[in-house]
Amino acid sequence: MIWLITSALLFATGAYGALTRRTAILVFLSIELMLNAANLSLISFAKLTGSLDAQVVTLFVIAIAAAEVAVGLGLIVAIFRRRETTSVDDLRGLRG
Amino acid sequence: MQTTILLPLIIGLPFLGFVILGLFGRRIGEPASGWLASLLVLGSFLLGVNLLAGGGAKWAVADWLPGIPFSLLLDNLSGLMVMIVAGIGFLIHVYAIGYMHGDAGFSRFFSYFNFFIAAMLVLVLADSFPVMFIGWEGVGLASYLLIGFWYTDRVNTDSARKAFIVNRIGDLGFLLGMGLLWAAFGTLSISGLREKIEASTLIFQAIPLAAALLFIGAIGKSAQVPLMVWLPDAMAGPTPVSALIHAATMVTAGVYLLARASFLYVGVPDVSFWVTMVGMVTAIYGALCAFGQTDIKRIVAYSTLSQLGFMFVAAGVGAYWVAIFHVMTHAFFKALLFMSSGSVIHALGGEQDVRKMGGMWKYLPQTRWHGLIGALALGGLPLLSGFWSKDAILASSFEYSPLLWFIMLAVAFLTALYSMRWFVLVFLGEYRGKEHPHESPAVMTWPNHVLSIGALLAGFVGLPYVIQEKNVLEPWLNAAIRPPEAEHLAAGTEWILILASALVSLGGLYYGFRFFQQRVLPKWFTNFQTASLHSFYADNFYNTYIVNPLKAFADFLFGADNGLLRGFGGLGGLVGGIGGWLARLETGYLRFYVAGLLIAVVLLVGWGVLR
Repeated sequence: MIWLITSALLFATGAYGALTRRTAILVFLSIELMLNAANLSLISFAKLTGSLDAQVVTLFVIAIAAAEVAVGLGLIVAIFRRRETTSVDDLRGLRG
Repeated sequence: MQTTILLPLIIGLPFLGFVILGLFGRRIGEPASGWLASLLVLGSFLLGVNLLAGGGAKWAVADWLPGIPFSLLLDNLSGLMVMIVAGIGFLIHVYAIGYMHGDAGFSRFFSYFNFFIAAMLVLVLADSFPVMFIGWEGVGLASYLLIGFWYTDRVNTDSARKAFIVNRIGDLGFLLGMGLLWAAFGTLSISGLREKIEASTLIFQAIPLAAALLFIGAIGKSAQVPLMVWLPDAMAGPTPVSALIHAATMVTAGVYLLARASFLYVGVPDVSFWVTMVGMVTAIYGALCAFGQTDIKRIVAYSTLSQLGFMFVAAGVGAYWVAIFHVMTHAFFKALLFMSSGSVIHALGGEQDVRKMGGMWKYLPQTRWHGLIGALALGGLPLLSGFWSKDAILASSFEYSPLLWFIMLAVAFLTALYSMRWFVLVFLGEYRGKEHPHESPAVMTWPNHVLSIGALLAGFVGLPYVIQEKNVLEPWLNAAIRPPEAEHLAAGTEWILILASALVSLGGLYYGFRFFQQRVLPKWFTNFQTASLHSFYADNFYNTYIVNPLKAFADFLFGADNGLLRGFGGLGGLVGGIGGWLARLETGYLRFYVAGLLIAVVLLVGWGVLR
């Protein structure tokens, strides 16, 4: 049960970070926190129910998260090269 | 009575001319297309006479509509009309070759003219009401096209529209009458209806209403009161059009309809009474209006109105052969009057105002005789054609009621007066214009020679019985009409009536001849003339009480329509406004979106958990 509460706290921290940070790197980091909070809760549920299924899913999530980090960091580097800033408030080019 | 394919060919010839001239008229060129059209009409005239001499003919399409045959019938009544339409039509075609010389729309004119002849022949040859209605609408269309022939002038197109719209009112009556006959008898074949009605001794309840509705159709086509307003304006068309369509043939279609459907009317004296009344009022109105007109053609147009009234009186009192007799003589002298008017207009380079005419007696050595004969025949000079037919109408109206006879005699007096006014203003006195009048070419005078002979002599086929025991026309036409049994007036009465009408027309002609040569006309007459010039304000009355309220109503409906559309426009604006307001949520800040996402997730999950 403690793991679930930890996971919720971790998720809340991540959400807070994603909302308040301006630097794209930190927003990205907060998103990773939320992702791992989800992983943690998956494993906690697996331990509670005694099933291995969720643990397998967690392994998949970690693998895909690695790929996602590569793409996300690549995007941030590309944006920095282009604009010389990574502030998400300046990235408003898609506003309607 | 033979069944022959030659009968539809009578209609086919002028229709062929319409098609050829309509498609290739420009390539055929100026005089040739006119002669082609004329010869085709002559062809159907000769064909019609030939078939009529062979005892009539009929023809039908086997299965057209169930119960409604597409059938044509050439009996003595329709035969006479074919001779009038195609015979006089031919003369007017030839005349038009000269009159329309140099007009840009020369071949178009003859194409329309042939179309008119074809439609008119459909009308007169029809043996079922729907077929007659096809011709009825066809001549209306031809009339519309030809009144507005010079369509670049706004007045002409307005007149054409007016004629078409006023005729629509009458056509509605015709349609409703047909529908009623169909509902009551299950057939619209004229000969079929006639057999059914004559075989039965009962009076069918539908007949009075159907007869009245068909009569409304006749009122519209023949320009009777109250639908008379279109005919004077129809003079906007070229003069041959006025002569052919608006004097000799089309406007008599209403009279023809009454004669053709006489079996409906003989059993319903109430409706016939109204036919008589409408005819009488039109005769008086037309005669009074003719006095004030200043346009040479409008004088003749109002006289046509008045003469059509005479024909309706004859049809109303049951003397159908007399009505057709007057149709025939009228076709001769009225076509002659119009075409001599046309010659005068031609001579003066398009001038139509009689105040700028006068003295044409000197300048136009042939047309002057045509005009004189036409005016005298219209005025009813004894022994001319107009005298005999008008006398026959007067005699049969005396049988109906002496009061009616007296009124019609007074109108005959007015007729003599205004025909003299026309003649005096155009041909006598000094020339009041500035043109150099010249006589028309032979192609225009020869048709008038022929018509003059007709106007002089056509009356002798229908002499009163006191002069000739059995005249030519009456038994011949009655073979097709079969009227109610009528007793002849006593010989003494008949002679008195003939003398009275002769004296009245002679007096009228003489008095008119003197009166209108005065240099200064009396004050009362000029006052009357002003009112008469405006047709006693019939148009103003219609505009104020019918046309303008209808227009206002139409405008109101248009405004309502507009308002409705604006309402829909407003609905679109509302959606746009909401959209614009919602678009402000798109701030472009990433964290705003993420916050929205999170709040939504929290709310949804919370709802899911707490539910």
